[in-house]
Amino acid sequence: MFQVQHGAALYTYIAGAAVVSVILFFALTLVPTKLRRPLIMAVTFAAGLFYALEFFWPVSGPESDQKNFLTAYIKPFSDITTVLQSFALGLGVYSLVSIHMRKVARTQSGWAYSLVLIVSMIVMVIAHIGKEYIKSPWVHQLNDFAYSGLMKSLDATMFSIIAFYIVSAAYRAFRIRSTEATILLVSAGIIMLGQVAIGQAITNAIPNEGLTANFRVENMANWILKKVNSPAIMAIDFGLGVGGLATALRLWLSLERGSYFEEEL
Amino acid sequence: MNHATWPARVILIVISAVIVWTVIAAQRGKKLFIRRIPGLTAIDEAVGRAVEMGRGILLSSGLGGIDVVTLQALAICTNIASAAARYGTKVQMPIYEAALLPIAEDAISSAYNKAGRSDAFSSDDVRYLSNQQFAYAAGVAGMIQREQYAATFLFGTFFAESLIMAENANMVGAIQVAGTPSTTQIPFFIASCDYVIIGDEYYAATAYLTRQPTLLGSMIGQDRVKIAILVTVMLGFLLTMAKLPLVKNLFEDKDMPAASYYSPAKGGK
Repeated sequence: MFQVQHGAALYTYIAGAAVVSVILFFALTLVPTKLRRPLIMAVTFAAGLFYALEFFWPVSGPESDQKNFLTAYIKPFSDITTVLQSFALGLGVYSLVSIHMRKVARTQSGWAYSLVLIVSMIVMVIAHIGKEYIKSPWVHQLNDFAYSGLMKSLDATMFSIIAFYIVSAAYRAFRIRSTEATILLVSAGIIMLGQVAIGQAITNAIPNEGLTANFRVENMANWILKKVNSPAIMAIDFGLGVGGLATALRLWLSLERGSYFEEEL
Repeated sequence: MNHATWPARVILIVISAVIVWTVIAAQRGKKLFIRRIPGLTAIDEAVGRAVEMGRGILLSSGLGGIDVVTLQALAICTNIASAAARYGTKVQMPIYEAALLPIAEDAISSAYNKAGRSDAFSSDDVRYLSNQQFAYAAGVAGMIQREQYAATFLFGTFFAESLIMAENANMVGAIQVAGTPSTTQIPFFIASCDYVIIGDEYYAATAYLTRQPTLLGSMIGQDRVKIAILVTVMLGFLLTMAKLPLVKNLFEDKDMPAASYYSPAKGGK
């Protein structure tokens, strides 16, 4: 059932999935309001239980490929999640297009940018899907121009802007206003100097052996990173792990009422 | 670790039981106290500032998909939206992951309903931007520059785009509160935002804001577990120093015969 299908079997499966989806959709709309919350709780619990059981159930087999009776279903279940999320992409595109179409139709301020967005979206869709099915070279050229020529370059441009933002953020953070800011400035200075050759050259005269080695800038930088920074991050990760587990438990067991289930669905 | 080892099974079940037990105790009316968290108190301050200035609020749930981190971000954003709606302040939320759009739209609309301002909610205010990292960042930066928000709240999973968003908000003079479990982005937020919620404070946010017994119970449960972990770490340190690597061996990636857990020769790497 979960194997890749081809030919007639593939179309049969697609049609079957569509029919089941439509039936399920109408069945869900017929569920009485009072039963909706228990239904959501049951589905959430069943979905979470699958992954919990798969993780906890004892495994067997060679060390590199240990499995239990649920492991084989992990891939199909994650495929189902991918399919469900793909449906949502349509909603996202609809949201984006409707906002910008309205802006263009009403010629609101900045409508030309909205028009550029809609045209770009159409061109990108034609180019990207077209290159798979149309042999003509212009489709490939259009795809290269739109994807590699424009999108990738624009992505790189946005990424490179971060360098300037780092400077402006660091300037504000490192201004000596308090003891904490001073410690931050000094430790950041040591780490920066420890990472570059010119910084290491400052203390190059100090022997790299014995007690004096501790005063070489690269060793001070390493000490800050390994003995101060890493344990602090590990401690944060401990707290985050426990917090994540608690939130997951609340969601899985539908104990969460404060945020999503305050009002009766 | 793809599957649980025996120690992991026992430890995870005990941790889960402690958390669920404190949640149930809190739901039954047990009084619980939580300390003041400055970053979370700042949320009210930021909303108040936006109300005074008559400008909008930006909420971002980051680049995560539908996972625990993003759902927690959404829960925080819902509470902020509710507070903002109560005072008639506009809230906008750009979305990165399309699958999150209907959930976010529903949550923010519920927040407006809860505040008794369902008429003020517009579905355009929760909008999908892009599932490309820098396209999303550029979109958010554009929104910040156009709308000149008085306050921005950045909660969720963030990567390199965090600084683009935070610095643009700083340029328009917005008060910024950020919280993320992405430890690599915390320094950037600290450098560029007014208040940062660090580590497990992120998961304490909804409990702090709503004071719901369930959430308070969960938070107290987390604290008890953290104390137990701290004690275990100390115990592990002392035992390892005494050449008894029991605790270290318990956290190995593979199961081993029971006797090996006590043995420095067979246990451990």
